[in-house]
Amino acid sequence: MPENKWGMVIDLDKCTGCQSCVVACQSENNIPINTEDIFNQRRAIEWIRIERYWEGEFPNVRARYVPVLCQHCDEAPCEPVCPVLATYHNDQGLNVQVYNRCIGTRFCANNCPYTVRFFNFWEPEWPESFKNQLNPDVTVRSRGIMEKCTFCIQRIRRFSKNSESTERDLNPACTNACATDALVFGNLNDPESKISKVKSKGKKRSYKMLEELGTEPNVIYLKKVEKGTKQEHNVH
Amino acid sequence: MSTSQNTHEQTQFSKQADLTAKLVGLHVSKYNKNTIFLIILSVLSIIGLIGLIVKITNDGFDNPAKWGYYVTFVVFLLTTVQAAPMVAIAPFIAKGHWNRSISKVAQLFAPLGLINLLLFIPVLCVLPSLSDGRRTLWFFESLKMNAYMPHIITLISFICLVLLGIALLWISTVPDFAVLRENSKNTYNKKLFSILSNRWIGTSKQWFTQKHRIGILGAFYFMTLVILNFQISSDFAMSLIPGWIDSLYPATHTANSFQAGVATVIIAMYALRKWGGCKDFIGFDQFWALGKLMFALSLMWVWFFFSSFIIFWYGAKPTEKAIIELSMTGPYFIPFLGSAFLLFILPLLTMPFNRIRRSILGPTILAFFILIGSFLDRLRIYVPAYQLSDHPNKHNFYLPDVPKTILPDIPDLMIIVGGISAVILTYILLTKFIPVVSIWQQKELSLYKIHKKFHRTEVLVLGKPE
Amino acid sequence: MQEHHHRTDKQINTDLLSSIFSTPKWWPIATLACLIVYLTGMTAFAYMLNKGVGVTGLNRPVFWGFYMVNFVFWIGISHAGIMISAILRLTQAEWRRPITRAAEVLTVFSLIAALQAAPLVHVGRPWRADLWVFPYDFSRGIWINVKSPFIWDPSAVMTYLTASSLFVFVCLIPDLAIIRDRTKGIVSKIYGFLALGWRGTPVQWKLQIVAGILLSALVLPVFVSVHSIVSWDFAAQIGPEAWHSTIFAPYFIIGAIHSGVSAVATVMVVMVWLFKWDKYITPDHLDAIGRLLIIVATAWFFFFFLEWVYALYTLEGPELAMRELQVFKMPWSAMFIIFVITAYLFPVPMWLFKKVRRNFLWMFITTISVNIGMWLERFLIIVPGLMRKQPLMFNWGSYTPSIVEILMVAMTFAWVLMGMLLFARVFPLIPLFDIKEGMVGRDEIKIGRAKVPASIRE
Repeated sequence: MPENKWGMVIDLDKCTGCQSCVVACQSENNIPINTEDIFNQRRAIEWIRIERYWEGEFPNVRARYVPVLCQHCDEAPCEPVCPVLATYHNDQGLNVQVYNRCIGTRFCANNCPYTVRFFNFWEPEWPESFKNQLNPDVTVRSRGIMEKCTFCIQRIRRFSKNSESTERDLNPACTNACATDALVFGNLNDPESKISKVKSKGKKRSYKMLEELGTEPNVIYLKKVEKGTKQEHNVH
Repeated sequence: MSTSQNTHEQTQFSKQADLTAKLVGLHVSKYNKNTIFLIILSVLSIIGLIGLIVKITNDGFDNPAKWGYYVTFVVFLLTTVQAAPMVAIAPFIAKGHWNRSISKVAQLFAPLGLINLLLFIPVLCVLPSLSDGRRTLWFFESLKMNAYMPHIITLISFICLVLLGIALLWISTVPDFAVLRENSKNTYNKKLFSILSNRWIGTSKQWFTQKHRIGILGAFYFMTLVILNFQISSDFAMSLIPGWIDSLYPATHTANSFQAGVATVIIAMYALRKWGGCKDFIGFDQFWALGKLMFALSLMWVWFFFSSFIIFWYGAKPTEKAIIELSMTGPYFIPFLGSAFLLFILPLLTMPFNRIRRSILGPTILAFFILIGSFLDRLRIYVPAYQLSDHPNKHNFYLPDVPKTILPDIPDLMIIVGGISAVILTYILLTKFIPVVSIWQQKELSLYKIHKKFHRTEVLVLGKPE
Repeated sequence: MQEHHHRTDKQINTDLLSSIFSTPKWWPIATLACLIVYLTGMTAFAYMLNKGVGVTGLNRPVFWGFYMVNFVFWIGISHAGIMISAILRLTQAEWRRPITRAAEVLTVFSLIAALQAAPLVHVGRPWRADLWVFPYDFSRGIWINVKSPFIWDPSAVMTYLTASSLFVFVCLIPDLAIIRDRTKGIVSKIYGFLALGWRGTPVQWKLQIVAGILLSALVLPVFVSVHSIVSWDFAAQIGPEAWHSTIFAPYFIIGAIHSGVSAVATVMVVMVWLFKWDKYITPDHLDAIGRLLIIVATAWFFFFFLEWVYALYTLEGPELAMRELQVFKMPWSAMFIIFVITAYLFPVPMWLFKKVRRNFLWMFITTISVNIGMWLERFLIIVPGLMRKQPLMFNWGSYTPSIVEILMVAMTFAWVLMGMLLFARVFPLIPLFDIKEGMVGRDEIKIGRAKVPASIRE
């Protein structure tokens, strides 16, 4: 068994849909600015996004928020279809994208059932004043290639090199930015880690997205607890 | 010029008369032979009937898992015996010449559908109704359909197929019956044949309508056969296996059924050549052509099979993995291996060699193996389907676990042996009654075929009428 | 009754070589028009190369659009040549003789059109395609990914292109020698070089015939594999809706034959109109191809039916949503109706009438209609499948092609037309030797008072 298997637990009961994870990701990972025009073209890049669904009929409508990011599947459908092996699974359970190899067939994006792979349709642009703000640890991707959530691999690297680093240094930007602790990141193979504890505690509520496809995601969701149900008392 | 034409016509005429006499003689001479063989077949058929009765009384219809092998056998008969007439139909529509002497051999299989129709009735009793919540073609839940839709519709198609087959056989034998009417001395026979020949005297109009009737009946037979394969493979197999969605399977089933139909005809041809005295008419050409056709259909089958397999293998959803395990690598691995080997690998390894392809024994042996392979191919689908048919989880559209292998019991084996014997017995009895080499088609061929001098060699010239 | 124009060898030579030795007035105009459209498309491509894939209408989740549709369409058309040449040659159908060359040439040009339609064009960084085309990357020490359908696909297409080009060439050799003998100077030298020293000796004929038959037999498996693999580009995926269907390979093949044979019929009609070869391509030939088309079209329709039935059989939400989009939502529903009518409901009942099958204009209209329908079919498979991907409705999207994509689609059509026109100026589009062979092998058999056309068999 490999030492590390990175994963994430997302507690939907805690998620408020505030989008701070989206903003944090944007600035950590040098993601080009999603202007209104780009949104209208449906080409916005958000490595993590908050999907909002409406449930029920008026007036009993409820908004549901689901943060969706790359699920880092163990049996990732995006991996076998790439002709140039630009995407592969590393030994730490991460699904990684090699920007240099990618030629942009977009095959992986089509085969991703979660639609979390993004294509650089345009050359990324930042206003001059923003250029000093770019993260030097993250590649700026040119046009014509795929990109997606890396679980902030640069932070994982830095963490493993520095013995004094704390959990906060390991966590991806989205997890650190989350105000309600809805996102928990960590090593699934370490039974003492926070994520393992959260995972076992929320076992009854846990599910994986589109599980019937057999993609074996490493992102685990914990169901929202409905008001007034039996479950409500067991959660906290 | 005119005299030479006259003599040509006269020789043509006398050749025709000779041919008629020879073919009629061939038909009449077959009487009163092989009595012991017939008795053995009858005994075996009765054993099969006993087996069926034992099966019904012992197992009842409530436990579908017990009936897997029985359904396999009925479907096997459907895809061999009832697909065999296609050998007569397809080349007729394509205006091929080579199949003239064997078209009747193939069409004679059509009435055997009656036996299969009787055997099909228990299958209908075994198949669960749609109310168990399985996926179905009939959109039971959404359209409020009758829960017995698959039973009703399939039975209707089945009856249509049998009736069309018998009609096809009769229509294409009418001119032969007329010849027999003219040639029989026995008054009883004469009367019988004159009824069967339906006032046939061979006017141009009669010929014209007869050919159109054969074409249309053949086309309908083909369509009904395809539809029946589609219904049987989806309602009697696919829907019983939770989570199995394979839009190509009906086509694979049909392709295999054509392959097995050709194999059936080849075996019948060999038997008729060896023991039926048809050596002069069923010859090397026919074996060669049908052997090639069988090989082409083998390739088609494997292409269909592979197209399905690769999608499941590449998709690798849990359900797809379970289906692959169920029908290929798991409990029915040996039948799967057998079917893949006999239906594809063996023909592929042998048919490219001229010495095997251009012989009579080669295609016959391959045909025999293909029939066994088809049976195994049916087995690996239908037996697990009926094993799973009363699975409590089936409306989940998800296959939870793969069941264990089951083997046939004694009544199953009795039914299989008896059923095959009954089919062979009926076929032999039919050949005593209907000329197994079509007289009018042979005579027509002799008109279209001429050997001519061409420069320094002699060539065969074949006419192709519009 | 079959018409039969008996022509001497000399007449055949003058008739069929007329396209080479004289330039009709319309030829430069037509070729120039094609060239202009082609160059416009190329300009659009250059613009895309400069600005990025953003200039297309593609977006998330519709990552593949017009380019892929057009690619599949041209691969489909390319199946005609082999269908007509190889299968009909192996089954010794007489009516194939005047059509084979045009069909094979159509195969070659449409394959090149397919290559222009998608693979390199539609990727994000065509300049890095060496990583894809070349099997080993020395700088990183890794191979290409043989598990990817996008590796199977170019391999199959390139094999097919090589085989069919070779096929065209082998069948062209005797005719090249004829042209060599009728030209002078440098032109004659070039044809002579291409004719590989053909003198028409018995040994040469035997080799040529054997090569033709061997190539037909070898190219058939390639022909089946090409479109199967193209279909697996889609069917191997589990992401998009309705693509993960086992029927795709045979469905694509039979659809390809449907559109390809229709395209051959169109080319036949156009050849008669442009070059006045009505003594070689007669209503009989159209009749034969029309009857073949009825069978092919109906088989295709059966597979179409199966695909639909099992899509509804799944009873899964996104699948039903995608079907609903196809059938009930404008403008997809309009396209769907046009597709079903043009691909099947209009042409096939028409072909049932002998008068239609034997009429040049009607065959032109019906076969063009089939190909309009088949283009829409590919569009309706590829795009709605991506638009309704999986139950996560938040990501459902739409697609409108941009002008760049439309120009580049037009470019491929112009390319094929221009290619055929140029080919017709340089090489005979009807094989001379095949026609002559047919004239020699033709015979008639007298039965009673009737005469039946016949042909010599070995």
